[in-house]
Amino acid sequence: MPLSRRIERALPNALGIGLTGFVLVVLFGPVLLLALFSFNDSTVISLPWEGFTTRWYSEALNDDGAMSAIGHSLVVASVVTVASLILGTLASWGLTRIPFRGRSLVAGIHGAVLVVPWLIIGIAGLIFFSQIELALSLQTITLMHIVVTFPLVVAVVSAGLIRFDPSLEEAAIDMGASQLQMMRYVVLPQIAPSLAAAAIFAFAWSFNNFEISFFTGGFEQTFPVWVYGVLRHSSNLPVVNAASTIIALAQVLLVFGLWYGMKLMTKRRGGTDRDAAEMITGAVR
Amino acid sequence: MGIPTTPQITVTGERPSRLSRLLKPFAFMSLPTAVLAVLFLIPMGILVYFSFQYGDLTGQSGFTLSNFTDTLTDPLYREIALATFEIATIAMVAQLIVGIPLAYVLAYKAGRFELPLLLALVLADELNPMVRIYAWRMLLGREGLINDALTSLGLINAPIDALLFNKFSVIVVLSTSYLTYTVIPIYASMKAVDSGLFEAAKDMGAGWFTTFRRVLLPLIAPGIFIALLLVYVPLFTDFAAPSLVGGTSGIMLGNVVADMVLQNGNLNMGAAMSFLMLLAAALFSLLAYQLSRVKGGAK
Repeated sequence: MPLSRRIERALPNALGIGLTGFVLVVLFGPVLLLALFSFNDSTVISLPWEGFTTRWYSEALNDDGAMSAIGHSLVVASVVTVASLILGTLASWGLTRIPFRGRSLVAGIHGAVLVVPWLIIGIAGLIFFSQIELALSLQTITLMHIVVTFPLVVAVVSAGLIRFDPSLEEAAIDMGASQLQMMRYVVLPQIAPSLAAAAIFAFAWSFNNFEISFFTGGFEQTFPVWVYGVLRHSSNLPVVNAASTIIALAQVLLVFGLWYGMKLMTKRRGGTDRDAAEMITGAVR
Repeated sequence: MGIPTTPQITVTGERPSRLSRLLKPFAFMSLPTAVLAVLFLIPMGILVYFSFQYGDLTGQSGFTLSNFTDTLTDPLYREIALATFEIATIAMVAQLIVGIPLAYVLAYKAGRFELPLLLALVLADELNPMVRIYAWRMLLGREGLINDALTSLGLINAPIDALLFNKFSVIVVLSTSYLTYTVIPIYASMKAVDSGLFEAAKDMGAGWFTTFRRVLLPLIAPGIFIALLLVYVPLFTDFAAPSLVGGTSGIMLGNVVADMVLQNGNLNMGAAMSFLMLLAAALFSLLAYQLSRVKGGAK
C-alpha cells in the first residue's frame, strides 16, 4: 500500500483518538488536578508543590458546614430517590400500558417538567411556598426535587417498558398468573436494569441540584449550595478542595457500580454491551 | 382437539369491566399527576399570575404590564440578554463542533471502547457541577495552575488575566458542563443509522463532507434537535457558572433574574423575567422542532 493511502487510512483513526483524548482531558483533567492539589500542603491552590498532607481532609471532616451540607444532601437525595422510583414506576406503567383519555396530555406534562429550566422551576417554587406560607427548609427542597426528578425516572423506565413486549404479560395472565405474580415474575426482572439506572440518575440529579435547592432552601444548606457560598466568598478553599474530592470519588465509585451492575444484569440475561449502551441512551430518546 | 380449547382460553382471560377500565388508570396515574399538579402546574400558574401583578410594598396590588415593559425596555437588560445569547450560542456551537464528531467516533469507530466511553460521558455529567466549576476556577485564575505553570516554565512574564472572570471562562465551563447532553442524543440517533449508507455514498463518488451533509446530517437532525432542547435552552438560564467564573463581563440573564428575586426581593419582576425566558424557550423549542422535521423529512 502506498504511503499516501496508508496515511489516508490512518488519519481518521488518529483524529478520532485525538478528539476522544481531548474531550476526556477537558472533562476530567480539572477535577483530577483538584484531587491532586487537595493533598498539597499549602493554603493556596497553586504551584509549587509544598509537600504531601492529609490535613485538609481532617479539616474537612471536622468542618461543620461541609459535613452538615453533605449530610443534608445525602438525606434529601435518598428520600427523593425512593419517592421518584415509586411515582415514576407508577406513571411509566400507566403511560405505557393502560389506555385512558388524556394520556398524551398527561405524558406531555411529564415531559414539560424535564425541559423547563431549573432556574424557573426554582423561582416558581419559591413564590409558591411563600404564598402558601410554608417556611423554606430541607422539606421544601425535597418536594421540589421530587417533582423534577420523578419524570426522569418515567423517561428511563418507560424506555425499558416500551422495548419489552406486552404480549409476555398477557401470556402470563392467560396461563393463570395473578396480576401481582405477573408483575413480580415477568415485568420486574425485565425492567430491573432500568430501575437501577433510574435510581442512580435520580440520586445524582437530586444530589447535584443547585438551582432548585438555592431558591427553595432555607437555613439548612445542601452540598452544592454550600460550595457555592464558600466560592462566592473565596474562603477556606483547601477544605472545599478536600470535600469536593471526597464527593467526586464517591460519584466515580457509584457510576462504576452502575456499570458493573448493568454488565452483570445484562450478561445474566444473555444481553451484551449494546443493551447496556441502549439503556443509557434510552432515557434521552 | 385444538379447536375446543381455544374458546376456553379466551374465557379465562378476564375482560376488563367498565369499572376496572376507569379504576386502573386512576390507581396508577392519580398520585404522579397530583404531584405534578400541586408542585409544578400550580407554582408555574402562580409565577405567570405574579408576573402581571404590581408592588406589595404599600400593600396595594393589581394588574399591570409594567413588569414586562420595564424588563424589555431597560438597556442594561438588553445588553445582558445580548451577552447571554453570545455566550450560549458560542458554547452550543463549540459543543456541536466537538460533539458531532465525538458521537460519530462513539457510534461507529470506538468498538469495545464504546460502552466505557459512554459511561465516561455519564460520569462527567454525574460529577457535581459545583466541583467542576471550582476545578476550572482553580485552573484558570490569576494565581491558577495554568498561569503558574506558564510563568514557571518561563513562557510568559506576567500571569494572563484574560483566562478567568470573563465570557471566555463562562463559555469553557458551560461547554464542558453540558457536553454529555449534546453528545448522547446525537450518538443515539447515529446508532439508528445504517452505516452501509456511507459505503453507498462513497461508492457513488461522494466525498466525506458531501456524505456528512447529504446523508448523515438529515438522518441525525432529530438527535441534534434533542441536544439543542436539552442544552441550548438551559444554557440561557444558567447562573451558577456566570456568577462564579463570569466576573462582571460574563454576567448572564440567570444572574439578573436570581438577583431580582433574592437581592431585590422583587418577586413580580423576577416572575415576569422568568415568564419571558420560558416563552423564549418554548418558541425556540417549537422552531427547532419544525426545523428538525423539515431536515429529517428531506432525507
